[in-house]
Amino acid sequence: MTKPEQPDPSGDEIEVRIAADAAQLPMLRAITSAVAMRQDYDLDSIADLKMAVDEACSMLVLRAITGSLLTVRFTPKSEIRVVATVLSDSDDWPDTGAFSWHVLSTLTDSLEAGVSQGAADPGGHVLWIELTKRNALGDE
Amino acid sequence: MNPRGGYDHLAPLFEQFASLPKDSPEHAQLRERLVTEHLPVAEHIARRFSHQGAPLEDLAQVARIGLINAVDRFDPAHGSDFMSYAVPTIMGEVRRHIRDTSWAVHVPRRLKELRLSIGGAVTELSQRLGRAPTPSQIAEHLGLSREEVFEGLEATNAHHSLSLDYLLTDDPDSASLADTLGADDPELSVVDAREALYPLIKRLPERQQKIITLRFFGNLTQTQIADRLGISQMHVSRLLAKSLDTLRASLSSDG
Repeated sequence: MTKPEQPDPSGDEIEVRIAADAAQLPMLRAITSAVAMRQDYDLDSIADLKMAVDEACSMLVLRAITGSLLTVRFTPKSEIRVVATVLSDSDDWPDTGAFSWHVLSTLTDSLEAGVSQGAADPGGHVLWIELTKRNALGDE
Repeated sequence: MNPRGGYDHLAPLFEQFASLPKDSPEHAQLRERLVTEHLPVAEHIARRFSHQGAPLEDLAQVARIGLINAVDRFDPAHGSDFMSYAVPTIMGEVRRHIRDTSWAVHVPRRLKELRLSIGGAVTELSQRLGRAPTPSQIAEHLGLSREEVFEGLEATNAHHSLSLDYLLTDDPDSASLADTLGADDPELSVVDAREALYPLIKRLPERQQKIITLRFFGNLTQTQIADRLGISQMHVSRLLAKSLDTLRASLSSDG
């Protein structure tokens, strides 16, 4: 429930805040790619993670309040953990039957999503999604 | 105040220059004098641009050509003075030179070569390892630093997101490729009919259908798909991203 409020004190965490707008997704793809490359992920895993972040953030942006922010936090450790959040009018989230969800679970090693209550001001619901991706090399 | 320095005495000469017949020896003489006396202007402009990486001597040559053009084309009847015509002309010439030679050709050529060698390394390493390589493995294979590989991989992304997506999907060989793979995908039958996804996937070009199906319903990795279709992993990656974009767009527009 409180996922979005748990900052990780480790030094390699990256948090990006941009307009919750589909036009910003290429920026996120680029950042995701850089994070995974620098963790020396194999190219398949880099491509998967990029697509997963793209997909997850697309889902969130569709539901975000117009003019609000999309926050994406990358925690690269033994695996890369990505937590993305937006503020929404609706708490109908996530739609685990959607194709997007299927895509996401194929692309990631773990996937979780939920809703937490937004701050009293401006209100609304905080939709979050957390996914992790391991370097495929570590699998064997 | 005269910011133009010591060139004012030359200004009246342009009237004279314009009135002389083009083929007269006086015209040629005066042309030479005007160019020679303005040479420091060309020099000065070349120097201004030399920090951008091009050799100063090249820039100075180009600036001199710009100056000659300016002397030849300047028309005093138009009322402006020579310097306000010459300076932009020379700068334009120098800028064009920098753009054409050192930038647009040089840097990208290096990146292009980098891209090519990374592409080759990825293919080779994928075959040897049986899976996609990491940037470190590519760097080691090519004797490059990891930073260089990052740069090359980024260039690959940037390059392809511009135009190749379209070129590649319209690739005429995709039909014949699909033929050899069979039109009815067994994997596709497991696609959930909910969300009317099946018809949307069916609307994708055949190769993209195949890739989407193999990746998301057959659970193959991009490298395995690339192997199976005889294309590169990067190509698979681009086609997958493009297909998802399309599906996303049609899903949201269909409600």
